[in-house]
Amino acid sequence: MSGPCSDPMQPRPFRITKVRKELSDTVTMDLEPVDGGAFAYLPGQFNMLYVFGTGEVPISISGDPAEGSRLVHTIRAVGAVSGALCSVKKGGVVGVRGPYGMPWPVEVGHGHDLVFVAGGVGLAPLRPAIYQAMHDRAKFGRVVVLYGARTPDDILFRKEVEQWRSRFDLEVAVTVDRAVGDWNGNVGVVTKLIERAGFDPTSTVSFVCGPEVMMRFAAQSLQKRGVPAEGIYLSMERNMKCGCGLCGHCQWGPHFVCKDGPVFRYDRIASMLTVREL
Amino acid sequence: MSSILKKTDLGAWAAALEAEVFAPALADGVWAYQPVAPGANDGGVALTHPNTARPPKNFAFPQREVLYTFEQLKGQAPKLTETLPNPAPVVVMGVRPCDGRGAPRNDMVFTGAFDDPYYQSRRAKTAYVGLACNTPPSPNCFCKAVGGSPSSKEGLDVQLTDLGDRYHVVAVTPRGEELIEAGGKLFAEAGAADEKESQRLHSEAAKCEQRTFGDLAAAAPALKKNFDSEMWQSLAKACIGCGICTFLCPTCHCFDISDEVTGQSPMRGERVRTWDNCQFPDFTMHSSGHNPRETLGARLRQRVNHKFLYFVENNGTQQCTGCGRCISFCPVGIDIVAVLDRMIQA
Repeated sequence: MSGPCSDPMQPRPFRITKVRKELSDTVTMDLEPVDGGAFAYLPGQFNMLYVFGTGEVPISISGDPAEGSRLVHTIRAVGAVSGALCSVKKGGVVGVRGPYGMPWPVEVGHGHDLVFVAGGVGLAPLRPAIYQAMHDRAKFGRVVVLYGARTPDDILFRKEVEQWRSRFDLEVAVTVDRAVGDWNGNVGVVTKLIERAGFDPTSTVSFVCGPEVMMRFAAQSLQKRGVPAEGIYLSMERNMKCGCGLCGHCQWGPHFVCKDGPVFRYDRIASMLTVREL
Repeated sequence: MSSILKKTDLGAWAAALEAEVFAPALADGVWAYQPVAPGANDGGVALTHPNTARPPKNFAFPQREVLYTFEQLKGQAPKLTETLPNPAPVVVMGVRPCDGRGAPRNDMVFTGAFDDPYYQSRRAKTAYVGLACNTPPSPNCFCKAVGGSPSSKEGLDVQLTDLGDRYHVVAVTPRGEELIEAGGKLFAEAGAADEKESQRLHSEAAKCEQRTFGDLAAAAPALKKNFDSEMWQSLAKACIGCGICTFLCPTCHCFDISDEVTGQSPMRGERVRTWDNCQFPDFTMHSSGHNPRETLGARLRQRVNHKFLYFVENNGTQQCTGCGRCISFCPVGIDIVAVLDRMIQA
């Protein structure tokens, strides 16, 4: 795969056209290229988002790949750059480099059940694949979304998740680690949802995104249900500077998470997930 | 076909090249590549160095490089100005074979799925005139142990061999042929005796004692097997994480990218890439504070594994050319040859 422009180090200015506050520390923003034109990407890919004068961070795309020019990112304020990004207002301009990385191979799920397993803000990188599955709904068997958040207040895209739940062609289950307020739903880790979700493990492709430890246990639960390791995909996270396999920061064994990932087929990396300080 | 260049004509050759010429010179007690003054035709250029303290990797990959500048007037979109270099041709003289072999390894990194135009524009204009090692320049040389040799031509455009009062000169690439042509009559055709002498020196040099860790092919499997070995943490007890091993390495290429703000109204500055270092804790640190490679031992292991395991898996060759700098300059005596030896023996 070649870079989107001749100089992979040059960001393209994008104007923020809309900002939605998702959670206390998380926003979703719509962006449009200042120079007009389209922005093509695949679900699961990420961009290096750049606040001029502050720095860049890798952020997965959270929108619908079928929408030509609108780029959507969901960002949690964790460090200096993501914090600065979250505070850019509508009308502000940020830099975008990308899209980078290997996507969720949604088409691998054609003819099979598709199981999305998300933890926390990990729902954001999965959302483009969920949209794509809904566009091509007839190509899949059952489509299942299993989502775990820390508390009911941490449920990302809550209204949308509720809409998904009301559809007859999606099975959606949500659980929280800690119930607060008037929560009457599931409590417990997301792997519990895997144990009882309705899908045919012998014909399932699963996309998993969340904290590394959650993905490891989710993959194990899926395997326990009978999903083959080759049918499970995870999205890894590492510190990145260039996003295109040159700077060395995201090296993970022989892989560079930015270009060989972030989406990896589980059987190819399963043994690495338990290796400390690789 | 090969040629002969009198040592006293080296400066004249440098002056005849339509390029910025660099050669090792002793400055403040350190051998470093320095610009050769134009018109240095007085024999002032002499390749008498052991090896330079820093490898010549900076000619294609500078320690600090501006990627673009930015300026944001209040209420306006930021303006970016790309600063892609368009360098004049550079000729680097006196490159030792180990450092010559560094160049194609760095090419493998910066060329491929994503081409790096900054690296490539400089690299395309850089020519290396190598100097074969008649004797090992450092007691820590181990080029033979990593598939090289004191007379390796890999990565060089021209190879010089020191025959006493003259150099035996071999063009390795078309660019090298051009460089020799530019020297015109300074070069005489080499006789059979010169070629024979050159060959003799090469084979004598290959017999010189060098450091080794044994079988190169055994390194990758040994590192795989000993990934969890206690040896890493114990080796790292001495390590102070200074990173000199990677900064002085001809093949270490990791970099950081950061903003250097030079003014606030309007906000302006430079996006800069600088050499970075896998031995530093914040190299892998996430913004959350989580660090997937947090101990010195794991970072030391990463450096060795990158060079002798992962790079081999990805590129089919080691990312080490045996220059020995990381051994010579380590302030606490960590020795990659001894480390590999221990891993292979374990």
